[in-house]
Amino acid sequence: MGRSRHVWAAPGQAFRRLSVLLAAAALSGCGGGGTSVGDSGTAGDGGVVVPRFFPAPRLPEGESLAAERIELGRHLFYDKRLSGNGTQACGSCHHQDKAFTDGLPVAVGATGERHPRNAQALGNVVYNATLTWANPSLVTLEKQMETPLFGENPVEMGVNDRNRDEVLARIRGDARYPAMFAQVFPGGAEAIDWRNVIAAIASFQRSLIAGNSRYDRFLRGEAVLAPNEERGRLLFFGERAECFHCHGSFNFNDQVVHAASRVVETPFHNTGLYNIDGAGGFPEPNRGVFELTALPQDMGAFRAPSLRNVEVTGPYMHDGTIATLEDVLSFYAAGGRLITVGPHAGDGRTNPFKSDLIALIDLSPEEQADIVAFLKTLTDHEFLENPKHADPFLPWP
Amino acid sequence: MDHHEITNRFALPLLSASAMALLSACGGGGGSAEPAPPEPRTVSIRFAGVAGTAPVSCAQPLAALGSGALQSELKDFRFYVSEVSLKRADGIFVPLAMSVDEWQHERGVALIDLEDDSGSCAGRGTAAMNASIRGTVPGGEYVGVRLTVGVPSAVNHSDTAASAAPLDVQAMAWSWQAGRKFAKIEIAPAGGVTRPANPGATPPTPETRSAIFNVHLGSTGCTGNPASGEIVSCAASNRLELEFDAFNVDTQQVLVDLQPLFLTANTGVDLGGAFGCMSGKTDPECAAIFAALGLDLASGQTVNGGRHQNVFRIGAR
Repeated sequence: MGRSRHVWAAPGQAFRRLSVLLAAAALSGCGGGGTSVGDSGTAGDGGVVVPRFFPAPRLPEGESLAAERIELGRHLFYDKRLSGNGTQACGSCHHQDKAFTDGLPVAVGATGERHPRNAQALGNVVYNATLTWANPSLVTLEKQMETPLFGENPVEMGVNDRNRDEVLARIRGDARYPAMFAQVFPGGAEAIDWRNVIAAIASFQRSLIAGNSRYDRFLRGEAVLAPNEERGRLLFFGERAECFHCHGSFNFNDQVVHAASRVVETPFHNTGLYNIDGAGGFPEPNRGVFELTALPQDMGAFRAPSLRNVEVTGPYMHDGTIATLEDVLSFYAAGGRLITVGPHAGDGRTNPFKSDLIALIDLSPEEQADIVAFLKTLTDHEFLENPKHADPFLPWP
Repeated sequence: MDHHEITNRFALPLLSASAMALLSACGGGGGSAEPAPPEPRTVSIRFAGVAGTAPVSCAQPLAALGSGALQSELKDFRFYVSEVSLKRADGIFVPLAMSVDEWQHERGVALIDLEDDSGSCAGRGTAAMNASIRGTVPGGEYVGVRLTVGVPSAVNHSDTAASAAPLDVQAMAWSWQAGRKFAKIEIAPAGGVTRPANPGATPPTPETRSAIFNVHLGSTGCTGNPASGEIVSCAASNRLELEFDAFNVDTQQVLVDLQPLFLTANTGVDLGGAFGCMSGKTDPECAAIFAALGLDLASGQTVNGGRHQNVFRIGAR
C-alpha cells in the first residue's frame, strides 16, 4: 500500500453540501442522465453535469459553478496576457486535445525554464484530494494555482511583485473582461483582482468533467467492449495485475474527495522508477513527497494520476521518462525499472521504499496489450473536443 | 506540532487585548481610589542589519562572510516578525498592539525589509524599506522584548494574491510549501556558489554554479486537509522565537548580524538540495544555518528560548 498516507475526516462545516438533482431524470436526459450541480441548475443551461455514477463534487464556500463564471474562467485560462511576459497561458501547458497535458516529457515555462515535472491532466480535477504530483499541502485549486502563476523556482507563468499590477491592468483594459467580471463578482472594475482571477479559473477547472468514454457507455449498457478490451478490463481489475489498487476509483486513481466524503485518504506511492544510490534514492528535485517532508518513507512517493484519457496524456510518469503506454505496462510488469547507464543508473525494482503492490507480474506481451486496449476505452473524445472547454481565442467552428 | 504553538502564543495578544478593553471600560466605575489606567504609549521597535560591526546595505560590499571568509554582496534581506511583546519590570510580557499599514498586518505580522532594490540588490526586491515595528503598549516602563521571526499559522497559509499587506508580497510567498518565507536573506559570495562535479557518477556529473547563497526560512512538511480544504499542520514550524531580557525600546534596536549567520557555512560550496538553505531537513547547507539561528533542524523548534543564537541581538541605535 501507499507508504505515505494521511487520513482525514470531513468536518461537515467548511463546505456546503450541494443541492443535487439526482437524476431520476435519467430517462429524460441525454446521454443516460446525470447529476447537475451548480446554481444554474439543470443540464444544458450552464452549470456542470456529472455522470450518474460520479459522486457530487465537493465545492468550496462561494463556488457557484455558474455558467458565466466558468466562461470567464475559460477566457482567463487561455489568456497569454496572464503571464508576466505575455507569452504563456495556463492553456499553454494544458491542451484540451491531450486531456489538458502538453505532450512534452516536462513542461516549459514562460521564460523558457524547464519544469522538473510533467504537466498533469485536468479532467475531473474537481475530485482531486491533493493537487500536483506530490504535495500533501496543496488541497485546493485556488492555492495550487499560486505556484504556476507566481512560482520562482521554476518560473512558470512568471508573475511577480514587479509585474503583477501590470498583468492585472492588461485584463482590466481589455474590451470584454470588465463586463464579464461584473456579471460574476460584485464590485465593478475593482472586481478584477487576483482573488477573482484565480476563483474564475478554478471554476473553469471544476467544469472539466470527463465521464463519457466508451467504457462509461459500456457501464451504462450502451456499448460493448471488444474481446481484447474485455480481457484487459478483467486483468486491470484483477488481483494479478493489481492496477485497481491505485487506479480503482470511478476516476481511476486513489485520492478522491467529493461532497459526501467522510474520510479522505491521500496515499502516495513509490513505484520503483529509480534507485540511484542503492538506498532507494530518486534524483533531485524529483524525490516526491520526500522533497517536502524529508521522511525516508516518502522517498520517490508520488500521487497516482487518474487514468481517464491516459491514451492522450503521454509521455508518462512525474518526469515524463516513459514514452508510451506499452512501455508503462512493461515497466509495471517488471516490478520497477532497471537503469543501466547514465547519472540515474540503478535498479528501481529493488528500491526499498517501493510500494508492495509493485512486484514482478507474470503478464505476457498479449496480456499487456490487452490492458493497453482497455485503457484506451477510457478516452472521452467528447471531452477532448467539447467547445465549452476550448480556447476562446482561437476561431472555433 | 505547529497547532499547539499557535494556540499558546497567538492567543495571548488577543486575550490581553480584550482584557485591556475590559479594564478601561471598568476604569471609571465604583468608589475605589485606584489610579486611572496609564495612557497608551506609542513605541517603535527598530531593526538594523549588520555584519559584525559594519552596517549592511545593498550599496556596499559586505565584510568577508562564511567559513571561507568570502567577500560577499547583499542580494535580499527581508523577514516577517509576529507575536511581539514588551516585558515589564515585574516580568510580565505585554503584547504590542501593532498599528496596521502596508508593513503591518492586522493580525500582528510585520515585514522588516532591509533591502532597497538598488546596488547589489537591484532587480530583486522593492525600493521601499521598513526597519521598524510600530504600535502601542499600556504606559509604563519596559525592560525586555519578545518576538517571533515568522508568520503565525493562522495567516501563514492564506492566499498571497488576496491577502492584505504585507502578506501580499509575492517574493515572500512560498507557494509549493503553501505558506510564506519567514525570512529571505540572500548573499552573493565572490566566485559564486559551486556544486562540485561528481566524478563517481556514471557518466560523471559536471560542476554547476549559482551566483547566490540563499537562506529561506519557513515551515516545512505541511499537510492540507482535503476534506475541509484547509492547511492543518506543518511538521516543522521553523519559527524563531526570540526573547531578550534587557532591551530599551527608546535607545536600543534589534540587530540582525549576518556574520554569525554564515559563520560556519561554507558559502562558496553547495553539496546538495537548494543552493544555500531553503529549510530542507536533508539539505547539507541547512545544518550550519539552522545551528546559527538556534533552530533545531529536525524538529523545527527554537532551541533554548532563542538564547542559543546570536544572529539576532540587542545593540545601540
